[in-house]
This record gives sequence, C-alpha cells and structure tokens, in this order.
Amino acid sequence: MSADDRIAKVAQFLLHSPPGEVDDVFNDIRGIVNDDDALQEQVGPVLAESNMQQFLSVEVPGQQSKVLITPYNQIGEDRYLDPNTRTEFAFDHLRRVASDAQEASEAGANEEVRAELQRELDGYVASYYASGSVSVFVHEGSVVSCIVSNRFSPGNYWNGSWRAVWSFDPATGQLNGSAKVRVHYFEEGNVQLDTQSDFAADVPMAGASETDVAARVAAKIKTFEAEFQQAINDGYTQLAEKTFRGLRRTLPVTRNKVDWEKIANYKIGGELASAEN
Amino acid sequence: MADYDENDQQMDCALDLMRRLPPQNVEENLLTLLEVVPELTEDLLAAVDQPLKIRQDAKAGKEYLVCDYNRDGDSYRSPWSNEYDPPLADGNVPSERLRKLEVAANEAFDTYKELYYEGGVSSVYLWDTDDSFAGVILVKKVNDGTVRSKGSWDSIHVIEVVEKGRRAWYKLTSTVMLYTVASGAKGDRQNEINLSGSLTRQDERDLAVEDAGAHIVNIGRMVEDMEFKMRNALQEVYFGKTRDIVNGLRSASSLSESKTREQLQRDLFGQLKSRKD
Repeated sequence: MSADDRIAKVAQFLLHSPPGEVDDVFNDIRGIVNDDDALQEQVGPVLAESNMQQFLSVEVPGQQSKVLITPYNQIGEDRYLDPNTRTEFAFDHLRRVASDAQEASEAGANEEVRAELQRELDGYVASYYASGSVSVFVHEGSVVSCIVSNRFSPGNYWNGSWRAVWSFDPATGQLNGSAKVRVHYFEEGNVQLDTQSDFAADVPMAGASETDVAARVAAKIKTFEAEFQQAINDGYTQLAEKTFRGLRRTLPVTRNKVDWEKIANYKIGGELASAEN
Repeated sequence: MADYDENDQQMDCALDLMRRLPPQNVEENLLTLLEVVPELTEDLLAAVDQPLKIRQDAKAGKEYLVCDYNRDGDSYRSPWSNEYDPPLADGNVPSERLRKLEVAANEAFDTYKELYYEGGVSSVYLWDTDDSFAGVILVKKVNDGTVRSKGSWDSIHVIEVVEKGRRAWYKLTSTVMLYTVASGAKGDRQNEINLSGSLTRQDERDLAVEDAGAHIVNIGRMVEDMEFKMRNALQEVYFGKTRDIVNGLRSASSLSESKTREQLQRDLFGQLKSRKD
C-alpha cells in the first residue's frame, strides 16, 4: 500500500469518531501515520467532511451570532453562509477558525419561510435541549433545518451527541428527516449507543401563510423528535427485559450459583486422580 | 532504537484508537489498522480482543471457539479432539497432565455454559508455563432468533496460575464483548438501536488446591463471580448511564415546563411547611 493510500485509509477513522473525540482520534491517526507533513497535505477533505458531519457550531466573524457548519450552507470550497446575518465567511477545517467575512448576496426564494422556521425552531430548541443549536438554510430549493445537541464530559468518561436534519420542500409540502444519537461511555470500557431513524410526512399547505407553514413544520419536527426519544427509551427497556436475558441469565434456572465441586468432580475425579499417579 | 520508538508510539495510538472507535465495528477497524501498519500485525492481534469465531470439529462432532490462544500458524486446535485444523504434524499441545485438566475443564464449563447461557459454545485452552500453567476460558452466545432483538455475547477469561505446594495463586483477566440491536417499527419507519460494548476486569485470588480437580473449582468460581459482576455492570451501570445521557441531550418535556413544575413543587412545599409551623 502506498503512503498516500495508507493515510487516506486511516484518516477515514475520523468519520467514525465518537462525539467530542475527533481531536483524540486525530492525534491517534497522527501517531500512526508518523508523517505530519504528508498527513496535513491529505487530511483536509476528511476534516471538512467530519466537521460538517458533526454540525460544528462556529462564531460568525464580526457578528454576535453562531452558525452550524454543514453541507447545506457550504457555498464554495471552505466557504460557508450564515443566512441569519447574511454573512459568508471562510472556514479553516484544521484550526476550526472562521475568517474573511463578507456580506452575502441577496437571499433568494423561500427566505421568508426559512426565517420563520428559524424563529420557530430557536424557541423549540431552547425549550427541549439544554445545550442545543439550530440553523436553517435554503439548499437546492428546500428549507433544511440542522439541529445539534452535544454534551461532552470526558472527565466523567462520557460524551454524547444528538443530531437531526429536516428537509422541507415548500413546493410540495414534503418533510423528510433523520435523527441520530451517539453516546460513548468509557469508564474502564468502551460502550457505545448508535441509533438513527428516518422520518417523512406531508405538511398541509393550502391557504397557509409562511408563518403558518413554518409553525406546522416546527410542530411536526417536535413530534418526530419526541417519538424518536421515546423509541430509544423503549429500546432500552426491551434490551434489559429480553435481549440481555436471552444472552446470559443472571443466575441459572435453579436460582443458585453453580455447584463447582459437583460438576468438577462427578466426571473428572477418577480421570485426574489417575493423571496425578 | 529509532524504529523501536516509532512502533511503540504507533502501537499506543492504535490501541487508543480501538478504545474510542465503535465496539460494533472492532473487526473491520482492526483489519484497516492491519493494512495500514502491517508491521504491528502480531502485536495488534494479541492485544485487541475480537468477537470469537466458531468452528466445527468434524471428528468430535462438536463446535469450538477459535482465538489467538489455540492458533498455531494458520491452524486451530479443537479442545475436544486435541487436533489441529488444518492438520499440523507438530502443533503445540499441552503436556499430558495438563491435557487431562483441559479435558475436565471443557466438560465443566460446558455444563456452566448450559446453566447460564442455555446454548452457545464454550472452549477452554490450557498451556504450560514456567511457573505452572495458564489458560483461557471462552464462551460465545449468539441470539438471532427474533427480528426485534438480536445480540451476541463473547466472554474471554485469561487465567494465569502459579502453584505453590497445596495452594495456588490465580490471576484472572476477563473481557466481555456485548453486541445488541433492538429494532422498533412505527408505521413504515424502522429504527435500530445498537448498543454495544466491551469491558475488561481483573481479579486475583490465592486459594487452596487439595487435588488437581480443585483448579477447576477455583477457576470456575472466579469466572462465575466475574461474569456475574460484569453482566450486572453492563446492564445497570453502562446501559443505565448511556440512557441517562440520551435523556440529558434532549429533555422529554419542555425545559421551561420542568422549571415551572419544580417551582410549583417548591411553592407547595413552602406552603405545607409554613402551615405545619
């Protein structure tokens, strides 16, 4: 395998990093590759993909505002848009710094629905996520909402991330989305939860104003996310009551621990005794 | 010396990486690492626990488990027939005395496995050491019977034994790898909840050995106690903790409602208290 192929292969691990541990995974990759120059030269695209996959939240330069880094507001190679302040800026994926802010061009179609949905979801996210962020973009004719809630507590051996993306097509009223949760708990072990669910619904549009439509979309998102959370909790119950028991019992059917004297002796006694003689 | 340092660093980083990447994908992640750093193949295979593989001993008509401990070259030794597959003329086998103990241990743990796992496969391998002997007890249970809850459990218990007169010192290093998938469906939606993990724990005991059969009793109790603790830790601590983290990422009820409710409770409590006073 060529040196470049090796780097490309090992760099893919970044995309499987647990939430909040991208830097640690990056350092491991660095140690394995052991060639900083070659790594730096090649790792850019994977880092960009990783940052966008994680919905990294960044300060918009020159604005009192934050925006998520996602594939839906990428407007050029390493340039991103904050539609709320109509600012576009450069983003360095390795150092995670935004710079070179410029006023963005006039917003196109669907800006009104987008802005209304941003306002609705700001309220929803503040109500249900202790540390959540939401950015709403117009992307390829759809209004795309990205929600992320991260809680990182590496000192207590855990990190968790909730991410959801909701794409609403104002032309058809179709809402499609997916939500994903990953949790890593690593006190003397490596335990991970990984779950994802896809959703689809039609939002009634007839005669509705932009404000009404945005409110309906936000309500649907809230319902889906609540269902997803409930499904995860149900999954845990099922796991404890069925899956776990089906793999290994807590105690044998007799409710007593194994009588080792008995099972070790009734077959073995004679054989081992003869081995010793 | 420079080479030695580089390999050391690569090994440390590779192991740190494996502790962070999803335990669900340990096999494919390890394969990628072996392609990237083939010079670490032996070390990585020895250090990273992988789900156990099942093989068929055609001669004994029984299944057995394979791992690095019963491997010689590309062949694996069956604990039932004591033969290598593919056959090896001079494959490593335990001394005659230890083989008798190994046969007895396989019988005993086969019973243990039935009592706790109600199925599955177990294998015990022993080998002679300078001090006395060492061994590994393997158990694997796979549950794919129902669509709604799938899972597998792999136990790897490595035991080191130092005999001294009528006592022996035992050091147990146990790893449990658990893989579970709970799937739920709502309408035409499918969602899968994958919760998996691996834990490693150690125990040491100094115990009386009246006869050779006592080794099985002593090791059996240590393994049974350890599996009891680890199963409990997984279900209560690890899974409980990851569930709490999920419900900390998103609140099931509105945060402001929760705050209002808390405030109401405080007010009510205050009123009750003042009435009492």
